Amino acid sequence: MKGFLGTPASFGADLNLIVQVVMGLALIAGALLARAKRYAAHGVCMTTVLFLNLVPIGVVMWPSFEQLVLPRLATHLQKRYYMVAAIHGVLGAAAELLGLLILLVAGTNILPETWRFSRWKLWMRVELALWMSALLSGIGIYVVWYTALWRQ
Amino acid sequence: MKSYIRNVFLCAGLLGAVASAAMIHGVSIARAAEEKTAPSIAIDNFSFTPKELTVAAGTTITWVNRDDVPHTVVSTDKKFKSKALDTDDQFSFTFTDTGTYNYFCSVHPIMVGKIIVK
Repeated sequence: MKGFLGTPASFGADLNLIVQVVMGLALIAGALLARAKRYAAHGVCMTTVLFLNLVPIGVVMWPSFEQLVLPRLATHLQKRYYMVAAIHGVLGAAAELLGLLILLVAGTNILPETWRFSRWKLWMRVELALWMSALLSGIGIYVVWYTALWRQ
Repeated sequence: MKSYIRNVFLCAGLLGAVASAAMIHGVSIARAAEEKTAPSIAIDNFSFTPKELTVAAGTTITWVNRDDVPHTVVSTDKKFKSKALDTDDQFSFTFTDTGTYNYFCSVHPIMVGKIIVK
C-alpha cells in the first residue's frame, strides 16, 4: 500500500514515522510532567508510550529489519542502508528495554534488590536521551531508505 | 612439383584456420547478441525500466537491481515474488501463460511495472 508523505515509502513506513515522532513528543511532555511534580500523569504517559511502541516494532519495524537487513547485515554493514538500520536497531532495542526496566523498578516489586536502582533522575534522563537518539536514527532510516536526499 | 603441392596444402591450412577463427568469432558474437536481447528490466532510482514490457509466452525476464537500496519484485496476483534484491542482485521468472502481470516493489509501493505476455 502506497504511503502518503510523497515518498516511495509504504503506508506502514509513513504511518510509523508519524507515530514515532508523536510518541517522541509525548515522552518530552511526560518528562515535563515529572518536572512539574505530576508524577502520576508522568507515569501514565511514559507507560502508555512504552507499551504502544511494541505495536509498530512488531508490525512494521522488526519484519522490515528481518526481511531487508538481517540477511546481509554481517557482510554489508559498511553500506549506508544497512549501517543506519543497525544503529537504529541497537539504540531502539536499548531504549525499549531500559524503559521496560525502569517501569518494572518504578511500578512493581517484581525485580530483586540487585536489579533496582535509586538514582531515578539519572536513569530516566539516560532513557530519554536514548529514545531521542533512536528516534533520530529512525528518521535517518526513512531518509536513506525512502528518499533520494542523501544521494544529492 | 613437391614444393607446389606443399604450398597448396599450406595455403589450404591457413585458409582453414582463418575460416575456423571467423566461425568461432561469429558464433560468440551471435551468442552475445542473443544474451543482449534477452529481456531484462533494470531497477534504478526507485523505478522499473522499462515500466511495461511485452514478451512471448515462455520468455524468461530478468530484473536487475542497479539501485543503491534493496528492492523486491512482487506480482499483484502473487504469481511471483522475489527475495530482497541488493545492488546487482537479479531475479528471473519465466512467463509460460499469456496475460497481463502487474507487479510492484513491496518496499517502495510507488514502483510499479507491467508484463504483457502474448
